[in-house]
Amino acid sequence: MFLLLPFNSLIVNLLGISLTVLFTLLLVFIIVPAIFGVSFGIRKLYMKTLLKIFAWATLRMERGAKEKNHQLYKPYTNGIIAKDPTSLEEEIKEIRKSGSNKALDTPEFELSDIFYFCRKGMETIMDDEVTKRFSAEELESWNLLSRTNYNFQYISLRLTILWGLGVLIRYCFLLPLRIALAFTGVSLLVVGTTMVGYLPNGRFKEFMSKHVHLMCYRICVRALTAIITYHDRENRPRNGGICVANHTSPIDVIILASDGYYAMVGQIHGGLMGVIQRAMVKACPHVWFERSEVKDRHLVAERLTEHVQDKSKLPILIFPEGTCINNTSVMMFKKGSFEIGATVYPVAIKYDPQFGDAFWNSSKYGMVTYLLRMMTSWAIVCSVWYLPPMTREANEDAVHFANRVKSAIARQGGLVDLLWDGGLKREKVKDTFKEEQQKLYSKMIVGNHEDRSRS
Amino acid sequence: MGSSQSMSEEVRELVSKTGFSSDQIEQLHRRFKQLSGNQLTIRTRRTQLTWMATRQSSWAFNHSSLQTDMFTSKENFNNIPDLELNPIRSKIIRAFFDNRNLRKAPNGLADEINFEDFLTIMSYFRPIETNMDEEQLEHCRKEKLRFLFHMYDSDSDGRITLEEYRNVVEELLSGNPHIEKESARSIADGAMMEAASVCVGQMQPDQVYEGITFDDFLKIWQGIDIETKMHVRFLNMETIALCH
Repeated sequence: MFLLLPFNSLIVNLLGISLTVLFTLLLVFIIVPAIFGVSFGIRKLYMKTLLKIFAWATLRMERGAKEKNHQLYKPYTNGIIAKDPTSLEEEIKEIRKSGSNKALDTPEFELSDIFYFCRKGMETIMDDEVTKRFSAEELESWNLLSRTNYNFQYISLRLTILWGLGVLIRYCFLLPLRIALAFTGVSLLVVGTTMVGYLPNGRFKEFMSKHVHLMCYRICVRALTAIITYHDRENRPRNGGICVANHTSPIDVIILASDGYYAMVGQIHGGLMGVIQRAMVKACPHVWFERSEVKDRHLVAERLTEHVQDKSKLPILIFPEGTCINNTSVMMFKKGSFEIGATVYPVAIKYDPQFGDAFWNSSKYGMVTYLLRMMTSWAIVCSVWYLPPMTREANEDAVHFANRVKSAIARQGGLVDLLWDGGLKREKVKDTFKEEQQKLYSKMIVGNHEDRSRS
Repeated sequence: MGSSQSMSEEVRELVSKTGFSSDQIEQLHRRFKQLSGNQLTIRTRRTQLTWMATRQSSWAFNHSSLQTDMFTSKENFNNIPDLELNPIRSKIIRAFFDNRNLRKAPNGLADEINFEDFLTIMSYFRPIETNMDEEQLEHCRKEKLRFLFHMYDSDSDGRITLEEYRNVVEELLSGNPHIEKESARSIADGAMMEAASVCVGQMQPDQVYEGITFDDFLKIWQGIDIETKMHVRFLNMETIALCH
């Protein structure tokens, strides 16, 4: 048959065969360890090499910048302005004092009162705590990904070649490999769980289900080249508990589920997600809600309580923030999952942005674009801390308990602990918050006004 | 690659026009992009009513826009939660689009503002430099006070009338549901009379006080060091490596 082929397609054939062999070998090297949960340490080696290259690149840039007299080191701030911490009362009194010659104990409305609110308004327009949590964190050093650095400038030929090489490796070598792995992982998950679903209920079914789930998540982890360090694994969630974690991206699920066997909670989607969800629930009981049921908080709480009370069922995995935050802070935890009364196992996840930014800005990128970006980054490096379990104390209400858990997670992960609601990404501030400041001011004016009219 | 050259020319122009440093301008530019959703301008969306009103006289325009603008316009500033807590939020947002503040016209509101306009408004809150002389200080102070005056004087006639004064007081006290409109009114009336006595002195019983002019306004604020307080201080930038 070889003789029938013309000469130049011999080269093509050889190329094709060698590529196939290469890919098969790689798949074997990656999938087999995933099945058994062992690791050859290839990814850690990869990470070390990358770090060395980044350090070299930064040195080159410094040298190049000095030669050309560029400004390489840019001022870095975590916020633009210094906000005055003085309170409403103090400031207004101060302004009035410096102005009129009247006695201080006859407060009433003054023309200058508008000033405090005006300045506060300006400050928040210039810089506020909440809006900046919803855009990706800017890196301080360059990691050869032009997407994290907005001012790529031509510094030297060697650096540009390196960057070009990086692009080639990432898009032409790593990307197809990762897509192949992801495809394998997802299809194995669907097929495996459906097959396990046919087994009769019993210990064998549970055993198989657990291992099918773990194997497929591990393959997906390798598909993203995620290098995860787990800390304090003795605190891992047990049956009948609820696992809560901070949310940065949909990948969080894969990261946590590859190290433990959880029951997922969520809304049933259509399309591919829906197929996966329906297959998964055949093998073991996950808690999926129809779209209409999601709004009914009572129903949700009931089903979760039911699940939690059955000690044979798996720990539930929940992300109480409700939306993706950019991994510099933890926002308000919704109290629903803390009202159920089960043991809470907090988990803190912190990504290292040097290798690839894992934050999903859902208003900027769709799911497919996001996954492509993930798969063309160098790697996803993160740390997971399992914190000791917490329970709600006797006289504690759900909101307080939620805040306690949130602080523990923020402290461990080195994130800022914020009181604001993650839902502010899409909705407006609730009216209850608005009224407080206004009430304070009006009390100052009117309360005293009443005193005066009485005297 | 190469775009920084043209940027620095624009930046230089803005630096000389508004007085911010180039770093501050870059920071504010990023903030502007955040607020505008990466568009070139921040705009207000108006209802059919106000659009028609712009065709009529400016007086009518301002009055109708006062009613509909504050409640139905969806603006990019809505995305800032901290701003919601501010009782005079709508006045502050309006100040951004006020043509008098933008130095474009003696009255009216702009439909949208670009980055240069944004910086112009921000420059009213620039801190005072220590190397300013008397004249510059006086000018600075006047500009800042003029900004505040425009906040009160919503119909741009150069006077703060009783009606406008009441409007501001009501807005400031709007958050408290226990205060009735009547008490807010009486507070405003009392304050207005005081202001009148400062500006005009003793009035004849049949004299009508038309309103606070800008000069009267300046008189009231005499003694208050507004220029040292009316600024937003930029943080001291520490240099950490950010590859350029």
